[in-house]
Amino acid sequence: MPDRLSYDAIVVGGGPAGTAAALVMARGGLSVIQIERGRFAGAKNIFGGVFYTHALADVLPDYWERKPPFERPVTEQGYWMLSPDSALRIMHKSEQYRQEPAGAYTVLRARFDPWFAAQAVEAGALLITRTTVTRLLKDARGFVIGVDTDRPDGQVYAPIVIIAEGVNNLLTRQAGLIASDLPPRYVALSVKEYLSMPPKELQARFGLAGPREGVAIDIFGDATLGLPGTAFLYTDQAGISIGVGMLLEEFVCHRLRPYDVLARFKNHPVIRPYLEGSESREYGAHLIPEMGYDRMPRLAGNGVMVAGDAAGMVDALHREGTNLAIIAGKAAAETALAAHEQGDFSAAFLSRYRRDLEASFVLKDMKQYRHMTDFLDSTPGFMGTYANLLNDAALRYFTAHGIPKRSMEREIVSLLRERRSFTGIAWDMLKLMRAMRG
Amino acid sequence: MNNGDQPAIPRIWVLIEQQEQQVHPVSWELLGAARRLAADLPGSIVEAVLPGYQVESLAAQVFRYGAERVYLIDESVLAPYRNLPYAVAVSQLVITYQPEIFLIGATTRGRDLAGAIATRVGTGLTADCTELAIDPAGKILAATRPTFGGNLMATILCRRHRPQMATVRPRVLPMPAPLDTGPGDLVRVPFAMCEDDVPVKRLRLIRAEERPNIEYADVIVAGGRGVGGPEGFVLLEELALALGGMVGASRPVVDAGWIDPGHQIGQTGKTVRPKLYIAAGISGAVQHRVGMSGAGVILAINSDPHAPIFQIADLGIVGDLFDVIPEMIRQVKGYSDARQAQL
Amino acid sequence: MHAIVAIKQVPDTSNVRIDPETGTLIREGVPAIINPYDIHAVEAAVQLKEQFGGRVTVITMGPPKAAEALIECIEQGADRAILLTDRKFGGADTLATSYVLAHAIEALNAEWPADIILFGKQAIDGDTAQVGPGVAVRLQIPLITYAIAIESFDPVARTAVVHRRIEQGVEVLQTRLPVLLTVEKEIAPVRRAPLPRMITAARYQPEVWTAETPVAFDPRQIGLKGSPTVVGKAYTPAPRAGGAIVTVADCGVEAAVARALEVMGILDTVRSSVAASAGVEVA
Ligand SMILES: Cc1cc2nc3c(=O)[nH]c(=O)nc-3n(C[C@H](O)[C@H](O)[C@H](O)COP(=O)(O)OP(=O)(O)OC[C@H]3O[C@@H](n4cnc5c(N)ncnc54)[C@H](O)[C@@H]3O)c2cc1C
Ligand SMILES: Cc1cc2nc3c(=O)[nH]c(=O)nc-3n(C[C@H](O)[C@H](O)[C@H](O)COP(=O)(O)OP(=O)(O)OC[C@H]3O[C@@H](n4cnc5c(N)ncnc54)[C@H](O)[C@@H]3O)c2cc1C
Ligand SMILES: Nc1ncnc2c1ncn2[C@@H]1O[C@H](COP(=O)(O)O)[C@@H](O)[C@H]1O
Repeated sequence: MPDRLSYDAIVVGGGPAGTAAALVMARGGLSVIQIERGRFAGAKNIFGGVFYTHALADVLPDYWERKPPFERPVTEQGYWMLSPDSALRIMHKSEQYRQEPAGAYTVLRARFDPWFAAQAVEAGALLITRTTVTRLLKDARGFVIGVDTDRPDGQVYAPIVIIAEGVNNLLTRQAGLIASDLPPRYVALSVKEYLSMPPKELQARFGLAGPREGVAIDIFGDATLGLPGTAFLYTDQAGISIGVGMLLEEFVCHRLRPYDVLARFKNHPVIRPYLEGSESREYGAHLIPEMGYDRMPRLAGNGVMVAGDAAGMVDALHREGTNLAIIAGKAAAETALAAHEQGDFSAAFLSRYRRDLEASFVLKDMKQYRHMTDFLDSTPGFMGTYANLLNDAALRYFTAHGIPKRSMEREIVSLLRERRSFTGIAWDMLKLMRAMRG
Repeated sequence: MNNGDQPAIPRIWVLIEQQEQQVHPVSWELLGAARRLAADLPGSIVEAVLPGYQVESLAAQVFRYGAERVYLIDESVLAPYRNLPYAVAVSQLVITYQPEIFLIGATTRGRDLAGAIATRVGTGLTADCTELAIDPAGKILAATRPTFGGNLMATILCRRHRPQMATVRPRVLPMPAPLDTGPGDLVRVPFAMCEDDVPVKRLRLIRAEERPNIEYADVIVAGGRGVGGPEGFVLLEELALALGGMVGASRPVVDAGWIDPGHQIGQTGKTVRPKLYIAAGISGAVQHRVGMSGAGVILAINSDPHAPIFQIADLGIVGDLFDVIPEMIRQVKGYSDARQAQL
Repeated sequence: MHAIVAIKQVPDTSNVRIDPETGTLIREGVPAIINPYDIHAVEAAVQLKEQFGGRVTVITMGPPKAAEALIECIEQGADRAILLTDRKFGGADTLATSYVLAHAIEALNAEWPADIILFGKQAIDGDTAQVGPGVAVRLQIPLITYAIAIESFDPVARTAVVHRRIEQGVEVLQTRLPVLLTVEKEIAPVRRAPLPRMITAARYQPEVWTAETPVAFDPRQIGLKGSPTVVGKAYTPAPRAGGAIVTVADCGVEAAVARALEVMGILDTVRSSVAASAGVEVA
């Protein structure tokens, strides 16, 4: 076939995993075609908003000179536990967070992803947008040898395909790397809204000294009606990213509509004042794979590798995903480079991709938190009970009632008992520790 | 011409659009506007340009709508409309008489012609105006038009170039009543262009079936996505019939093929100004509103109390249109039957 | 055959929002798209090329970002793209725009005279529909606006037959070539670009023309200077004030309708139409 389109490698997806893979392979001298279905890379990608720079530095050491479109450095972060009318806040602020470039920045994907993709294009990758990969092409031996797209004459060939398609893992399934669709108990659904606000106003409300300060707050308890899940509130350059996420199963079981949960959260008496007068700019829902280490797909097959959300590489507890995706994209790319060198694209050879990840934080962290989802699932009252409890206790503690402090303490303890037996609490804590330690 | 010592008379011109000896009503609307502008522009006079073939008989009407003078360009080369002869004929006239303001209807023909004339005479042209006024400070035309899909209004000025040209869509301006004045000054303008000089020939006209001229209906019963399907329009049709009106529609229902495009009202459809506009199952997006907010009274029927249409409706009924419309038909019919019996 | 298509990049007006405080347009975050009619003009040109061979050149005057729209035309099958971009072109109204495009087209004609020049019927950001007619006047070539079909096209005999939509129906016009058409969407349905074209386009760099090179434009006729019209002020339209609301759930459908008929004077309408059909004058 004379004029069939052939490249050294095909990357499916223009998210962080795909772009990291395309960038590293292009720099390594491969001819790379990266295919993204959106109008541009990042067009429809949404996430909460904290981006970790260590991974970026790993693939683009000079990223800072390339002026990435970061929103604000995260100079203060922590947790808020919400009860229906109060909040207990644990925030951490440190001079350590203030060096440039910072370890974490808030980011809007519609700005960041196109910038990142442009770096790969500059390195020589060919980015094709508005094109969806519809299936993998295989040869008689079952090796993946290319992809088909939704365009006329849409077939492209390459000895290696890196799937970085995100959470909707159709191709990963087609490649036979994972058996079935994710069950609702291992997928979280998150809705996010981006609200714009003049920077001055934003800074005043969140106590920020200027554009080089920002906060990232993760919120539990009443934000998700006490159900397992988290909410977030992050400051962007001229706006706020706010959202809630829960396991899909929770939405289904409790017949909750995601947008209603977000609307309720935005209306919480502690939250509302922060948002007043802002203007809604962007609204969207996205899934997060929370299948954990034990249910991840195989990472490589003959002629194919999978990276990022498509492979379930998310650390939900620390809201990390983009950094795992980038590191995985890079590791897959390095394996692809080696495969080209050896001329071996078999699953056996490509398995070194997984070995590299096992050695990095990506799979180490995944392994450590492997029981986290199950823990929350088996302790459904955890978030609500403790968030309310802590708030009630705080109220007793901080209010001068004119009663001896000793009886107040007793009161707090009995509050605790009313909601959960001591053995119950002990059991919860034990399970939590186990889930955290892996 | 007017470069003598005498200050030039500011002439306000209107292009009369005719088709088969019928004047397009937008020309009367423009004459009405020209008269209002003249009142604010001291010493100015309203004049009309009437190009065509065998159209002299129309001049009498033009005078009645307030033109003090009519420039008649009557030549066979102008028989079927073509851009070139019309543009050349009118541009020559503009250059000769140097009007201050020149108004043209934003019809298919008007839009075809206005841009060509403006370029020929090298002046500014503001398209699709919804409001015309004389800027009191500079005594120049302030032509206001929607931009960005009706989200923003912009007032456009043309400070140094003449004429100040503007096009206005049919029905955006009110229809004036004809005056009781006698004939004015008819100026016959010769025009020498022969058919061989025209590069475009009209081979034939495939006539569309007579489309409903909803633009000039007094009562419109319009339906949107809330109507649910083509069947719903049967119901609206029945109400329209009972009220002696016509049926209108929002864009999505036209796009969905529930009703013909000729019924579409709004930015990309028709502008209407009926005495009564009933909006049933229409949310009231800005693109729809720009086409109907000139209505005399607006009645909105919508099940969603927060539908934006209620912000502009004189009366809103919050309810299911499938309850409300049949009841309305019942009451209207009951009333008209009673009236009929009375008469 | 050489076809030249003028295209414009416009904000997607279905996504435009207004700053409620200042009344100005929020352009940030509004996706820019190719003017919807213009892409059909490109498609029509590409179809002529497929039939007669030759070249399709697309041009636009706009900010550097407008290159994106040109790339999309290359995807659709155009061969060459020219971006007229210069601060000096900024602030142009339709008169100045038509000058720049006409002057650029003359330069292209000098290399390979165009047989047909295509424009969209109007740009959705301004809806003026003036630039096409203006360019035809400047180039002194025949103009056919609102074209919906090219029935026949003969680059040798130098004639074409074009269908044009008018209020009364469809006019069938014969024209000399070169001709300038402004087109409706019906002129040609846009086909999905094949992958190889996408790849060609992804690597394509439009030629950039400034106010001086490779063609010199008359500085008095471009940009703000060349524009007779200026925007005096811009504001959000004052909404018509809403009136009373009756809720069926509260008062029942019969009472709600009765109230509406009364308040709106609808029965008066009925009265006069009944009277009219009975041939009676109503006082
Ligand atoms: C609400 C929310 C909050 C989050 N918060 C954080 C956070 O604060 N910090 C953090 O680091 N991570 C966070 N994450 C996780 C993070 O967003 C993901 O882990 C990360 O985006 C994964 O990158 P990826 O490249 O694997 O997938 P994606 O970013 O999803 O990219 C996949 C791309 O592939 C394209 N695509 C898919 N299928 C096809 C196809 N067939 N053909 C062509 N293109 C295709 C898609 O359009 C998309 O552009 C959050 C996620 C969500 C949903
Ligand atoms: C460039 C551009 C140009 C446009 N031009 C036009 C134009 O010319 N004309 C135009 O109309 N639109 C135009 N639009 C589209 C416009 O933006 C809106 O999308 C459109 O007007 C909405 O139509 P709708 O009200 O019928 O539908 P929707 O917005 O879906 O509203 C349906 C309404 O029906 C109500 N409803 C549903 N069921 C019932 C029931 N049983 N009883 C009572 N109420 C019910 C709902 O509450 C809702 O309010 C244009 C858009 C763009 C971007
Ligand atoms: N800046 C521009 N560059 C190229 N073509 C343009 C430009 N502005 C308008 N056009 C063309 O002129 C047509 C009509 O535009 P308008 O007169 O602005 O409604 C558009 O559909 C385009 O084909």
